[in-house]
Amino acid sequence: MEMSINGAKILATFENVPILGTVHVTQTLVVSWLVMIIISALCVWLGSNLKVTNISRKQAAAESIYKALVNFVHDRMGTEFDRYIPLVGTIFITSLISNLISLLGIWSPTADLMTELGWALVVFVIITYHKVKASGIGGYLKGFLDPIFVMAPINVMAELFTPISMACRHFGNILSGTVISALVYGSLTAASYALFGALGSSPIAAVVLALIGAAMVFFGKKKGNKKLFIFGIVFAVLGVLGFLTSFGGVFAKFPWLTVGLPAITSFYFDWFTGCIQAFIFCTLTTMFIKQAAG
Amino acid sequence: METIYQSLVAVEPLTLIANICNLFIQMLIIKKFFLDKIIAVLDQRRQAADKEITDAEQAKQEAMDIKKTYEANMLQANAKANEILTSAQKTAAERSEKIIGEAQQAAAQIKSKASADIAQEKKKAINDAKNEISGLALAIAGKVVEKELAQEDQAGLIDRFIDELGDQV
Repeated sequence: MEMSINGAKILATFENVPILGTVHVTQTLVVSWLVMIIISALCVWLGSNLKVTNISRKQAAAESIYKALVNFVHDRMGTEFDRYIPLVGTIFITSLISNLISLLGIWSPTADLMTELGWALVVFVIITYHKVKASGIGGYLKGFLDPIFVMAPINVMAELFTPISMACRHFGNILSGTVISALVYGSLTAASYALFGALGSSPIAAVVLALIGAAMVFFGKKKGNKKLFIFGIVFAVLGVLGFLTSFGGVFAKFPWLTVGLPAITSFYFDWFTGCIQAFIFCTLTTMFIKQAAG
Repeated sequence: METIYQSLVAVEPLTLIANICNLFIQMLIIKKFFLDKIIAVLDQRRQAADKEITDAEQAKQEAMDIKKTYEANMLQANAKANEILTSAQKTAAERSEKIIGEAQQAAAQIKSKASADIAQEKKKAINDAKNEISGLALAIAGKVVEKELAQEDQAGLIDRFIDELGDQV
Protein backbone atom coordinates (compact mmCIF):
# COMPACT_ATOMS: atom_id res chain seq x y z
CA MET A 1 0.00 0.00 0.00
CA GLU A 2 1.25 3.44 -0.85
CA MET A 3 0.22 6.47 1.08
CA SER A 4 1.44 10.05 1.06
CA ILE A 5 0.60 12.83 3.47
CA ASN A 6 0.83 16.25 1.91
CA GLY A 7 0.29 19.83 2.84
CA ALA A 8 -2.35 22.09 1.40
CA LYS A 9 -3.40 21.73 -2.20
CA ILE A 10 -1.99 24.44 -4.47
CA LEU A 11 -4.82 25.93 -6.49
CA ALA A 12 -2.94 28.54 -8.47
CA THR A 13 0.62 29.73 -8.87
CA PHE A 14 1.70 33.24 -9.74
CA GLU A 15 5.28 33.86 -10.71
CA ASN A 16 7.33 37.02 -10.54
CA VAL A 17 5.06 38.83 -8.13
CA PRO A 18 6.86 41.95 -6.89
CA ILE A 19 8.67 41.51 -3.55
CA LEU A 20 7.18 38.07 -2.84
CA GLY A 21 8.46 36.30 -5.95
CA THR A 22 6.59 33.10 -6.73
CA VAL A 23 3.39 32.78 -4.71
CA HIS A 24 0.93 29.95 -4.41
CA VAL A 25 -2.77 30.32 -3.74
CA THR A 26 -3.44 27.30 -1.58
CA GLN A 27 -6.40 25.51 -0.09
CA THR A 28 -5.46 27.05 3.26
CA LEU A 29 -6.22 30.51 1.97
CA VAL A 30 -9.52 29.56 0.38
CA VAL A 31 -10.74 27.59 3.41
CA SER A 32 -9.71 30.39 5.77
CA TRP A 33 -11.96 32.69 3.74
CA LEU A 34 -14.72 30.13 4.08
CA VAL A 35 -14.10 30.08 7.85
CA MET A 36 -14.27 33.88 7.87
CA ILE A 37 -17.59 33.80 6.05
CA ILE A 38 -18.97 31.25 8.52
CA ILE A 39 -17.83 33.26 11.54
CA SER A 40 -19.05 36.55 10.09
CA ALA A 41 -22.46 35.05 9.34
CA LEU A 42 -22.57 33.66 12.87
CA CYS A 43 -21.67 37.08 14.28
CA VAL A 44 -24.25 38.91 12.22
CA TRP A 45 -26.88 36.34 13.20
CA LEU A 46 -26.00 36.45 16.91
CA GLY A 47 -25.59 40.22 16.94
CA SER A 48 -28.88 41.00 15.23
CA ASN A 49 -32.19 41.82 16.79
CA LEU A 50 -30.85 42.36 20.30
CA LYS A 51 -33.26 43.58 22.93
CA VAL A 52 -32.81 45.03 26.40
CA THR A 53 -35.63 43.10 28.01
CA ASN A 54 -37.56 39.94 27.16
CA ILE A 55 -34.59 38.43 25.34
CA SER A 56 -34.67 35.45 23.00
CA ARG A 57 -32.73 32.20 23.51
CA LYS A 58 -30.37 33.24 20.76
CA GLN A 59 -29.58 36.48 22.55
CA ALA A 60 -29.13 34.68 25.86
CA ALA A 61 -26.63 32.39 24.13
CA ALA A 62 -24.87 35.36 22.54
CA GLU A 63 -24.61 37.13 25.88
CA SER A 64 -23.31 33.97 27.53
CA ILE A 65 -20.62 33.69 24.84
CA TYR A 66 -19.66 37.31 25.38
CA LYS A 67 -19.54 36.91 29.16
CA ALA A 68 -17.50 33.70 28.89
CA LEU A 69 -15.00 35.53 26.68
CA VAL A 70 -14.77 38.52 29.02
CA ASN A 71 -14.35 36.23 32.03
CA PHE A 72 -11.66 34.26 30.19
CA VAL A 73 -9.66 37.44 29.58
CA HIS A 74 -10.33 38.93 33.01
CA ASP A 75 -9.35 35.74 34.83
CA ARG A 76 -5.99 35.65 33.09
CA MET A 77 -5.11 39.29 32.51
CA GLY A 78 -7.19 41.34 34.90
CA THR A 79 -9.39 44.17 33.76
CA GLU A 80 -6.78 46.52 32.28
CA PHE A 81 -6.40 44.56 29.02
CA ASP A 82 -9.98 44.81 27.82
CA ARG A 83 -8.85 46.03 24.38
CA TYR A 84 -7.44 42.55 23.65
CA ILE A 85 -10.82 40.89 24.16
CA PRO A 86 -11.67 41.08 20.43
CA LEU A 87 -8.26 39.66 19.49
CA VAL A 88 -8.46 36.73 21.91
CA GLY A 89 -12.03 36.00 20.90
CA THR A 90 -11.17 36.17 17.21
CA ILE A 91 -8.19 33.85 17.54
CA PHE A 92 -10.25 31.40 19.59
CA ILE A 93 -13.25 31.19 17.30
CA THR A 94 -11.14 31.18 14.13
CA SER A 95 -8.94 28.42 15.49
CA LEU A 96 -11.92 26.42 16.70
CA ILE A 97 -13.85 26.62 13.43
CA SER A 98 -10.69 25.99 11.41
CA ASN A 99 -9.91 22.89 13.48
CA LEU A 100 -13.43 21.51 13.41
CA ILE A 101 -14.03 22.17 9.72
CA SER A 102 -11.91 19.08 9.02
CA LEU A 103 -14.86 17.06 10.34
CA LEU A 104 -16.69 18.01 7.16
CA GLY A 105 -13.84 16.60 5.12
CA ILE A 106 -12.56 20.07 4.27
CA TRP A 107 -8.85 20.91 4.54
CA SER A 108 -8.23 22.52 7.91
CA PRO A 109 -6.39 25.87 7.60
CA THR A 110 -4.74 25.20 10.94
CA ALA A 111 -3.00 22.17 9.41
CA ASP A 112 -0.85 24.77 7.62
CA LEU A 113 1.89 26.24 9.80
CA MET A 114 1.54 29.63 8.12
CA THR A 115 -1.89 30.18 9.67
CA GLU A 116 -0.72 29.74 13.23
CA LEU A 117 2.52 31.56 12.53
CA GLY A 118 0.50 34.57 11.36
CA TRP A 119 -1.45 34.65 14.62
CA ALA A 120 1.67 34.05 16.70
CA LEU A 121 3.47 36.92 14.95
CA VAL A 122 0.61 39.27 15.81
CA VAL A 123 0.83 38.14 19.41
CA PHE A 124 4.62 38.52 19.29
CA VAL A 125 4.30 42.14 18.12
CA ILE A 126 1.90 42.85 21.00
CA ILE A 127 4.22 41.15 23.50
CA THR A 128 7.20 43.17 22.27
CA TYR A 129 5.17 46.39 22.37
CA HIS A 130 4.28 45.73 26.00
CA LYS A 131 7.85 44.81 26.94
CA VAL A 132 9.18 48.02 25.39
CA LYS A 133 6.39 50.00 27.02
CA ALA A 134 7.09 48.46 30.43
CA SER A 135 10.86 49.03 30.54
CA GLY A 136 11.58 51.46 27.72
CA ILE A 137 13.46 50.65 24.50
CA GLY A 138 16.79 50.78 26.37
CA GLY A 139 15.57 48.51 29.13
CA TYR A 140 14.14 46.11 26.59
CA LEU A 141 17.43 45.85 24.68
CA LYS A 142 19.39 45.68 27.94
CA GLY A 143 17.23 42.71 28.97
CA PHE A 144 18.97 40.66 26.27
CA LEU A 145 22.31 41.11 28.04
CA ASP A 146 20.97 39.62 31.23
CA PRO A 147 22.64 38.11 33.25
CA ILE A 148 25.85 38.57 31.19
CA PHE A 149 26.41 39.81 27.67
CA VAL A 150 27.47 36.41 26.32
CA MET A 151 23.93 35.22 26.94
CA ALA A 152 22.63 37.72 24.36
CA PRO A 153 22.32 35.26 21.44
CA ILE A 154 20.45 32.77 23.62
CA ASN A 155 18.16 35.50 24.91
CA VAL A 156 17.41 36.69 21.38
CA MET A 157 16.67 33.12 20.35
CA ALA A 158 14.43 32.61 23.38
CA GLU A 159 12.56 35.74 22.40
CA LEU A 160 12.10 34.60 18.82
CA PHE A 161 11.08 31.11 19.84
CA THR A 162 8.05 32.41 21.71
CA PRO A 163 5.92 32.86 18.56
CA ILE A 164 7.51 29.86 16.85
CA SER A 165 6.76 27.55 19.76
CA MET A 166 3.22 28.88 20.01
CA ALA A 167 2.61 28.31 16.32
CA CYS A 168 4.28 24.90 16.26
CA ARG A 169 2.40 23.63 19.29
CA HIS A 170 -0.93 24.29 17.67
CA PHE A 171 0.18 23.21 14.22
CA GLY A 172 1.80 20.03 15.48
CA ASN A 173 -1.30 18.88 17.33
CA ILE A 174 -3.57 19.48 14.37
CA LEU A 175 -1.06 17.93 11.98
CA SER A 176 -0.71 14.85 14.16
CA GLY A 177 -4.48 14.50 14.03
CA THR A 178 -4.44 14.80 10.26
CA VAL A 179 -1.60 12.28 9.95
CA ILE A 180 -3.24 9.77 12.27
CA SER A 181 -6.57 10.17 10.52
CA ALA A 182 -4.86 9.56 7.20
CA LEU A 183 -3.12 6.48 8.61
CA VAL A 184 -6.39 5.16 10.04
CA TYR A 185 -8.22 5.73 6.77
CA GLY A 186 -5.40 4.19 4.80
CA SER A 187 -5.15 1.10 6.93
CA LEU A 188 -8.91 0.65 7.12
CA THR A 189 -9.16 0.99 3.35
CA ALA A 190 -6.47 -1.64 2.91
CA ALA A 191 -8.16 -3.90 5.45
CA SER A 192 -11.48 -3.36 3.74
CA TYR A 193 -10.14 -4.34 0.32
CA ALA A 194 -8.45 -7.40 1.78
CA LEU A 195 -11.56 -8.56 3.64
CA PHE A 196 -14.15 -7.92 0.96
CA GLY A 197 -11.77 -8.97 -1.78
CA ALA A 198 -11.66 -12.37 -0.11
CA LEU A 199 -15.39 -12.50 0.47
CA GLY A 200 -16.24 -11.14 -2.97
CA SER A 201 -14.20 -13.87 -4.68
CA SER A 202 -16.57 -16.52 -3.32
CA PRO A 203 -20.15 -15.25 -3.29
CA ILE A 204 -21.42 -18.51 -1.81
CA ALA A 205 -19.23 -18.08 1.29
CA ALA A 206 -20.57 -14.55 1.65
CA VAL A 207 -24.17 -15.72 1.43
CA VAL A 208 -23.47 -18.46 3.98
CA LEU A 209 -21.88 -15.90 6.28
CA ALA A 210 -24.89 -13.63 5.94
CA LEU A 211 -27.25 -16.51 6.70
CA ILE A 212 -25.22 -17.55 9.76
CA GLY A 213 -25.32 -13.94 10.88
CA ALA A 214 -29.09 -13.77 10.42
CA ALA A 215 -29.51 -16.98 12.40
CA MET A 216 -27.32 -15.61 15.20
CA VAL A 217 -29.36 -12.40 15.30
CA PHE A 218 -32.56 -14.47 15.43
CA PHE A 219 -31.44 -16.75 18.27
CA GLY A 220 -29.58 -14.00 20.08
CA LYS A 221 -32.75 -11.98 20.26
CA LYS A 222 -34.88 -14.99 21.22
CA LYS A 223 -32.59 -16.03 24.08
CA GLY A 224 -31.74 -12.47 25.11
CA ASN A 225 -28.04 -13.12 24.43
CA LYS A 226 -26.60 -9.71 23.54
CA LYS A 227 -23.17 -10.98 22.47
CA LEU A 228 -24.71 -13.40 20.01
CA PHE A 229 -27.00 -10.67 18.72
CA ILE A 230 -24.21 -8.14 18.09
CA PHE A 231 -21.88 -10.68 16.44
CA GLY A 232 -24.83 -11.80 14.35
CA ILE A 233 -25.35 -8.26 13.05
CA VAL A 234 -21.61 -7.96 12.24
CA PHE A 235 -21.60 -11.29 10.39
CA ALA A 236 -24.79 -10.51 8.51
CA VAL A 237 -23.55 -7.08 7.41
CA LEU A 238 -20.18 -8.51 6.36
CA GLY A 239 -21.91 -11.28 4.44
CA VAL A 240 -24.28 -8.93 2.62
CA LEU A 241 -21.48 -6.51 1.78
CA GLY A 242 -19.25 -9.35 0.65
CA PHE A 243 -22.03 -10.61 -1.60
CA LEU A 244 -22.50 -7.12 -3.05
CA THR A 245 -18.74 -6.84 -3.61
CA SER A 246 -18.80 -9.97 -5.70
CA PHE A 247 -20.77 -8.05 -8.34
CA GLY A 248 -17.79 -5.74 -8.80
CA GLY A 249 -18.13 -2.12 -9.96
CA VAL A 250 -18.74 0.59 -7.37
CA PHE A 251 -19.35 -1.90 -4.58
CA ALA A 252 -15.97 -3.51 -5.03
CA LYS A 253 -14.15 -0.17 -5.01
CA PHE A 254 -15.81 1.27 -1.90
CA PRO A 255 -13.73 0.86 1.31
CA TRP A 256 -16.60 -0.24 3.56
CA LEU A 257 -14.62 -0.33 6.80
CA THR A 258 -13.92 3.41 6.64
CA VAL A 259 -17.61 4.03 7.32
CA GLY A 260 -18.15 4.81 10.99
CA LEU A 261 -15.01 3.25 12.46
CA PRO A 262 -12.69 6.31 12.11
CA ALA A 263 -15.17 8.27 14.24
CA ILE A 264 -13.46 6.78 17.30
CA THR A 265 -10.08 8.36 16.51
CA SER A 266 -11.80 11.38 15.02
CA PHE A 267 -13.47 12.07 18.34
CA TYR A 268 -10.12 12.57 20.02
CA PHE A 269 -8.04 14.08 17.22
CA ASP A 270 -10.64 16.35 15.68
CA TRP A 271 -13.03 17.28 18.46
CA PHE A 272 -10.88 17.15 21.58
CA THR A 273 -7.60 18.38 20.09
CA GLY A 274 -9.43 20.95 18.01
CA CYS A 275 -11.10 22.51 21.05
CA ILE A 276 -8.19 22.19 23.44
CA GLN A 277 -5.63 23.70 21.03
CA ALA A 278 -7.81 26.74 20.38
CA PHE A 279 -8.11 27.14 24.15
CA ILE A 280 -4.38 26.68 24.76
CA PHE A 281 -3.40 29.16 22.06
CA CYS A 282 -5.66 31.81 23.61
CA THR A 283 -4.45 31.03 27.13
CA LEU A 284 -0.84 31.43 26.01
CA THR A 285 -1.69 34.66 24.20
CA THR A 286 -3.22 36.19 27.33
CA MET A 287 -0.47 34.86 29.58
CA PHE A 288 2.36 36.16 27.42
CA ILE A 289 0.82 39.60 27.07
CA LYS A 290 0.19 39.78 30.80
CA GLN A 291 3.76 38.70 31.56
CA ALA A 292 5.18 41.19 29.08
CA ALA A 293 3.23 44.07 30.58
CA GLY A 294 3.80 43.17 34.20
CA MET B 1 -4.49 19.21 -14.66
CA GLU B 2 -2.33 17.49 -12.12
CA THR B 3 -3.05 18.31 -8.46
CA ILE B 4 -0.04 19.85 -6.76
CA TYR B 5 0.41 19.76 -3.01
CA GLN B 6 2.57 21.80 -0.72
CA SER B 7 4.97 19.94 1.49
CA LEU B 8 3.76 19.32 5.05
CA VAL B 9 5.61 22.28 6.49
CA ALA B 10 5.85 24.87 3.79
CA VAL B 11 6.79 28.51 4.09
CA GLU B 12 4.41 30.51 1.94
CA PRO B 13 4.57 34.30 2.42
CA LEU B 14 1.24 34.89 0.72
CA THR B 15 -0.61 32.58 3.11
CA LEU B 16 1.16 34.16 6.06
CA ILE B 17 0.37 37.75 5.09
CA ALA B 18 -3.16 36.89 4.02
CA ASN B 19 -3.81 35.14 7.32
CA ILE B 20 -2.60 38.11 9.33
CA CYS B 21 -4.87 40.37 7.26
CA ASN B 22 -7.71 37.87 7.69
CA LEU B 23 -7.21 37.93 11.44
CA PHE B 24 -7.59 41.71 11.58
CA ILE B 25 -10.54 41.80 9.20
CA GLN B 26 -12.21 39.02 11.19
CA MET B 27 -11.51 40.88 14.41
CA LEU B 28 -13.14 44.04 13.04
CA ILE B 29 -16.17 42.07 11.87
CA ILE B 30 -16.54 40.31 15.22
CA LYS B 31 -16.11 43.59 17.07
CA LYS B 32 -18.53 45.54 14.93
CA PHE B 33 -21.27 42.96 14.46
CA PHE B 34 -21.07 41.02 17.71
CA LEU B 35 -19.08 42.49 20.61
CA ASP B 36 -20.09 46.12 20.17
CA LYS B 37 -23.75 45.24 19.84
CA ILE B 38 -23.72 42.98 22.87
CA ILE B 39 -21.86 45.62 24.88
CA ALA B 40 -24.38 48.26 23.79
CA VAL B 41 -27.31 46.10 24.82
CA LEU B 42 -25.70 45.19 28.17
CA ASP B 43 -24.96 48.87 28.80
CA GLN B 44 -28.53 49.78 27.98
CA ARG B 45 -29.77 47.14 30.38
CA ARG B 46 -27.44 48.35 33.10
CA GLN B 47 -28.59 51.93 32.57
CA ALA B 48 -32.21 50.81 32.68
CA ALA B 49 -31.54 48.96 35.93
CA ASP B 50 -29.74 52.00 37.36
CA LYS B 51 -32.64 54.19 36.34
CA GLU B 52 -35.11 51.83 37.98
CA ILE B 53 -33.14 51.97 41.21
CA THR B 54 -32.85 55.75 41.07
CA ASP B 55 -36.56 56.06 40.38
CA ALA B 56 -37.41 53.73 43.22
CA GLU B 57 -35.19 55.70 45.58
CA GLN B 58 -36.74 58.93 44.43
CA ALA B 59 -40.24 57.54 44.93
CA LYS B 60 -39.24 56.35 48.38
CA GLN B 61 -37.84 59.78 49.19
CA GLU B 62 -41.05 61.40 48.00
CA ALA B 63 -43.14 59.04 50.08
CA MET B 64 -40.97 59.84 53.09
CA ASP B 65 -41.43 63.56 52.45
CA ILE B 66 -45.17 63.14 52.17
CA LYS B 67 -45.21 61.13 55.37
CA LYS B 68 -43.19 63.81 57.14
CA THR B 69 -45.53 66.54 55.93
CA TYR B 70 -48.51 64.49 57.02
CA GLU B 71 -47.04 63.89 60.45
CA ALA B 72 -46.21 67.56 60.83
CA ASN B 73 -49.74 68.46 59.79
CA MET B 74 -51.16 65.98 62.24
CA LEU B 75 -49.05 67.46 65.03
CA GLN B 76 -50.16 70.95 64.07
CA ALA B 77 -53.80 69.88 63.99
CA ASN B 78 -53.45 68.27 67.39
CA ALA B 79 -51.90 71.40 68.82
CA LYS B 80 -54.59 73.52 67.27
CA ALA B 81 -57.34 71.26 68.61
CA ASN B 82 -55.78 71.45 72.05
CA GLU B 83 -55.57 75.20 71.76
CA ILE B 84 -59.19 75.47 70.71
CA LEU B 85 -60.23 73.17 73.52
CA THR B 86 -58.21 75.11 76.06
CA SER B 87 -59.51 78.44 74.88
CA ALA B 88 -63.05 77.10 74.88
CA GLN B 89 -62.61 75.82 78.38
CA LYS B 90 -61.12 79.13 79.39
CA THR B 91 -63.97 81.07 77.83
CA ALA B 92 -66.51 78.78 79.43
CA ALA B 93 -64.85 79.15 82.81
CA GLU B 94 -64.69 82.90 82.42
CA ARG B 95 -68.29 83.06 81.42
CA SER B 96 -69.44 80.84 84.21
CA GLU B 97 -67.44 82.86 86.72
CA LYS B 98 -68.87 86.03 85.31
CA ILE B 99 -72.39 84.61 85.48
CA ILE B 100 -71.84 83.40 89.01
CA GLY B 101 -70.36 86.75 89.99
CA GLU B 102 -73.27 88.60 88.49
CA ALA B 103 -75.70 86.27 90.19
CA GLN B 104 -73.93 86.71 93.48
CA GLN B 105 -73.89 90.45 93.00
CA ALA B 106 -77.57 90.43 92.12
CA ALA B 107 -78.33 88.23 95.12
CA ALA B 108 -76.35 90.53 97.37
CA GLN B 109 -78.17 93.53 96.00
CA ILE B 110 -81.49 91.83 96.49
CA LYS B 111 -80.44 90.81 99.97
CA SER B 112 -79.27 94.26 100.97
CA LYS B 113 -82.38 95.86 99.46
CA ALA B 114 -84.48 93.33 101.30
CA SER B 115 -82.72 94.03 104.58
CA ALA B 116 -83.04 97.78 103.99
CA ASP B 117 -86.75 97.33 103.30
CA ILE B 118 -87.04 95.18 106.39
CA ALA B 119 -85.24 97.79 108.44
CA GLN B 120 -87.46 100.52 107.06
CA GLU B 121 -90.58 98.44 107.68
CA LYS B 122 -89.32 97.72 111.16
CA LYS B 123 -88.63 101.37 111.78
CA LYS B 124 -91.99 102.27 110.35
CA ALA B 125 -93.66 99.63 112.46
CA ILE B 126 -91.81 100.81 115.52
CA ASN B 127 -92.75 104.39 114.79
CA ASP B 128 -96.36 103.35 114.30
CA ALA B 129 -96.21 101.34 117.48
CA LYS B 130 -94.62 104.23 119.25
CA ASN B 131 -97.31 106.62 118.13
CA GLU B 132 -99.96 104.12 119.06
CA ILE B 133 -98.38 103.43 122.43
CA SER B 134 -97.81 107.07 123.13
CA GLY B 135 -101.48 107.84 122.36
CA LEU B 136 -102.51 104.90 124.40
CA ALA B 137 -100.21 105.91 127.22
CA LEU B 138 -101.51 109.44 127.18
CA ALA B 139 -105.04 108.18 127.37
CA ILE B 140 -104.09 105.81 130.13
CA ALA B 141 -102.13 108.42 131.94
CA GLY B 142 -104.98 110.98 131.56
CA LYS B 143 -107.29 108.51 132.94
CA VAL B 144 -104.91 107.54 135.75
CA VAL B 145 -104.05 111.01 136.95
CA GLU B 146 -107.18 112.55 135.64
CA LYS B 147 -105.24 115.49 134.92
CA GLU B 148 -105.29 117.47 131.81
CA LEU B 149 -101.96 117.34 130.48
CA ALA B 150 -100.81 119.48 127.69
CA GLN B 151 -100.41 117.29 124.77
CA GLU B 152 -97.21 118.94 123.61
CA ASP B 153 -95.43 118.91 127.00
CA GLN B 154 -96.18 115.34 127.67
CA ALA B 155 -95.42 114.04 124.16
CA GLY B 156 -91.61 114.47 124.51
CA LEU B 157 -91.66 112.71 127.82
CA ILE B 158 -93.49 109.76 126.45
CA ASP B 159 -91.31 109.47 123.41
CA ARG B 160 -88.22 109.31 125.60
CA PHE B 161 -89.85 106.65 127.65
CA ILE B 162 -90.71 104.64 124.58
CA ASP B 163 -87.19 105.00 123.20
CA GLU B 164 -85.76 103.67 126.37
CA LEU B 165 -88.26 100.89 126.20
CA GLY B 166 -87.44 100.28 122.58
CA ASP B 167 -83.77 100.11 123.36
CA GLN B 168 -84.44 97.50 125.89
CA VAL B 169 -86.48 95.58 123.36
